[in-house]
Amino acid sequence: MEAVLHNKDHGHAGADAHSESFIRKYIFSTDHKMIAKQFMVTAIIFLFIGGAFALFIRWQLAYPGEPIPVIGQMLPDTWVNDAGAVTAEWYTQLLTMHGSIMIFAVIIPLLVGTFGNFAIPLMIGADDMAFPFLNMVSFWLFPLAGVIMMAGFFMEGGMAAAGWTAYPPLSAIASYGQTLWIVSLFLIGFSSILGGVNYITTVLNMRAPGLKMFDLPMTVWAVFITAIIITIGTPVLASALAMLFMDNFLHTSFFQPENLIVPTRDMTRTAGGGQPLLWQHLFWFYSHPAVYIMILPGMGVVSDVISTFARKPLYGYRAMVFAIVAIAFLGIIVWGHHMFQSGMNPLLGTTFMVSTMVIAVPSAIKTFNWLGTMWRGKMEFTAPMLNAVAFVSMFVVGGLSGIFMASTPVDVFIHDTYFIVGHIHYVLFGGSLFAVFAGLHYWFPKMSGRMYSERLAKWHFWITFISFNGTFFPMHILGVGGMMRRIFDPTVYDFLKPFQPMNEFITINAMVLGFAQFLLVINFGYYWFYGRKAKRNPWRANSLEWQAPSPPPHGNFDRPLHVYRGPYEYSSPESVQDYLPQTTSPEELEEQRRHHERRLEQQNTAEPVN
Amino acid sequence: MLDWLPENVSVFGEGVDHLFRLIYYISVAIFVLVNAIYIAFIIRYRRKRKGEKAYHYHGNNLLEFSWTALPFALFLFLAFYSDGIWEDIKYSEKTPNPDLVVEVMGQTYLWHFRYPGSDGIFGRRERGLISTTNPFGIDPEDPNGKDDVTTINSMNIPVNKTILVRLSSMDVIHSFFLPNMRVKQDAVPGQWVDIWFNSIKTGEYEIACAELCGSGHYLMRGVLNVQSQQEFDTWIDEQYTTARAALANAQETTNE
Repeated sequence: MEAVLHNKDHGHAGADAHSESFIRKYIFSTDHKMIAKQFMVTAIIFLFIGGAFALFIRWQLAYPGEPIPVIGQMLPDTWVNDAGAVTAEWYTQLLTMHGSIMIFAVIIPLLVGTFGNFAIPLMIGADDMAFPFLNMVSFWLFPLAGVIMMAGFFMEGGMAAAGWTAYPPLSAIASYGQTLWIVSLFLIGFSSILGGVNYITTVLNMRAPGLKMFDLPMTVWAVFITAIIITIGTPVLASALAMLFMDNFLHTSFFQPENLIVPTRDMTRTAGGGQPLLWQHLFWFYSHPAVYIMILPGMGVVSDVISTFARKPLYGYRAMVFAIVAIAFLGIIVWGHHMFQSGMNPLLGTTFMVSTMVIAVPSAIKTFNWLGTMWRGKMEFTAPMLNAVAFVSMFVVGGLSGIFMASTPVDVFIHDTYFIVGHIHYVLFGGSLFAVFAGLHYWFPKMSGRMYSERLAKWHFWITFISFNGTFFPMHILGVGGMMRRIFDPTVYDFLKPFQPMNEFITINAMVLGFAQFLLVINFGYYWFYGRKAKRNPWRANSLEWQAPSPPPHGNFDRPLHVYRGPYEYSSPESVQDYLPQTTSPEELEEQRRHHERRLEQQNTAEPVN
Repeated sequence: MLDWLPENVSVFGEGVDHLFRLIYYISVAIFVLVNAIYIAFIIRYRRKRKGEKAYHYHGNNLLEFSWTALPFALFLFLAFYSDGIWEDIKYSEKTPNPDLVVEVMGQTYLWHFRYPGSDGIFGRRERGLISTTNPFGIDPEDPNGKDDVTTINSMNIPVNKTILVRLSSMDVIHSFFLPNMRVKQDAVPGQWVDIWFNSIKTGEYEIACAELCGSGHYLMRGVLNVQSQQEFDTWIDEQYTTARAALANAQETTNE
């Protein structure tokens, strides 16, 4: 009911959008586009924090024990030693916070928060989300959670240091930073559930007249399915976090066996009755689907971008939708592949290996369909297209390296090595983040009403693409060499010493990669305000968001919409143009064709054939 | 790339490496194939002038079916092929009869090893008795436990013998990693997990911890000495003598 009333209120909102106060418009906004921008700006700030943490990690691995150049002496003495080098304590905090921030405060908010919020109402022709107030709450929980996560810095013992997976007993006996980490994730979970419920309701109830489910763009399908995974998986994580909170703060023993000696609590013993593996089951039951939460919206965005810039219908639209549904379903029954060496019954290892191998199939289907979309297309390599094309190629690497881990005997060796680190970064950076770059450039004209600099965007793409591969591909080799993840100083081990030059090579690339991201910020920051004014439909795309003004006012569309077809009718013989918007009625189409024929006739009579 | 693998010296490690190679070649083949097509498309199907129309085509069900079925067959084959080797490594009913059982206890940031005494029997242990001075919780009342040998960060084993490692932890989760043996198994507090291996070459190898266990995680390094049976017998006899001497000493002190 609230949704319906709200829509009525917004019927004429476009006109009075300017009369809103600054606070209502920019801070506590209920407009989905403003919330999307808030998610974007906050997540990019966290991207730089998480990226800086990664560079400190890389510095230590390449030059163990050497002072951090330039800023080493300026850092607080809880982080660095007297010489200005990273300490082992801070190192474990860094790797924990890098993972947690990048996953929960960068990738998920960018893909789900930003694109979900911005694209869903526009792409389905709605004037806002179903529950705009919940949407606002969903956003504000996120920076709050981010600040709480980082607040461990001010506590004794520093930030959380048990890895982003927070395996107890280590996490259960840790300092207050860990407690804050738990609270923070709990809030982020809340934010996700609020967003998820909102996306599901919006997609089901607020589509423009004539818009059928199987006429939805892939971005909407992907975020819709993602929202379902979120609402199923997040409560499980929340319950696990609640138990870990009690273990950590109230010294219960959900995850700890009896008579466990706790070094951090004066060697006292736990009361017991718990099981450390229980946490791993609950955590991965959420966090493996979370990997798909972080890749599915990216796949959706990339499908739309490739189809638009290849000027060709998406190959196998229904197969693409069913592949997403299959990934979402299989994603819920593969969590045990994180636990092959955990002491879980090896029989379960067999089971999870089979389900994990099977989940590679829908990913393969998607890859082949992207190739099919490009086949006989007319591709134009703008910045969004370059990033989308890179996504597909990098996702293939990430997918193939996943097969090594899925095979349980090979996993015995590569589990907890840099092979895993390489794999996850090919999926989350090479996959998700390239999709984010593709989507941000693609919708930049719609978001800001202006065009970004294509030249700067291409520089950003090529430097990022090359240094990304220079950073993360050698990590597979480190993993084959057996280098364990999360170690502070690889030179302690004789068998890892030969890899030191490779570690230095990775670090140099990582620095280039990190600093290249300033190009993105400069490009977006400057051209957001000073760019050339964008047309309504600069990419000549079909989906509904391009029918709204750039940028769309509060309430989005300035004329009533009716949808006649799917979003992928590029180069259709029905139309004289190389695209056919979803809203073009058969009458308009006929009119266009007649107009075109008249023009051709006029040209023919004006220029007689020799 | 597989040349970077540490030297394999264990019996089942050959199976692991074989599978590693197999998947590697399959992956490289798929990667090259997909990317060759990809790059060919990128070069060939560029837009040459504005408004140029592409081929209007929505897809082909036969193709969809075949590129679903083929990967499905390939991945299922890999799963079942892998499973044979997996069962040999980890299924308890497939574990060969051990020639030597060693108990391993992880402690932040140490590895404790325990060998049965000259009687070949481990003394009774109890979790409640575990302490930093008695990492295995050996019952002082049990005579079988009095001659058990314990070492720290150093494990000696005879070559070409089946070793069964019984693994646990006294505080947080660790992971017992022998790169050259292709062994990795988490040590979970509150439970004992068995893992076996069989080294085919003498020498000194490294033991690492592969699961984050705190800020000293990287220091949790041990040494694995694979010795000839003769050398190993000499070593363990020395340990027995020291253990007996220590025991006698202790008894003397109690008698006084």
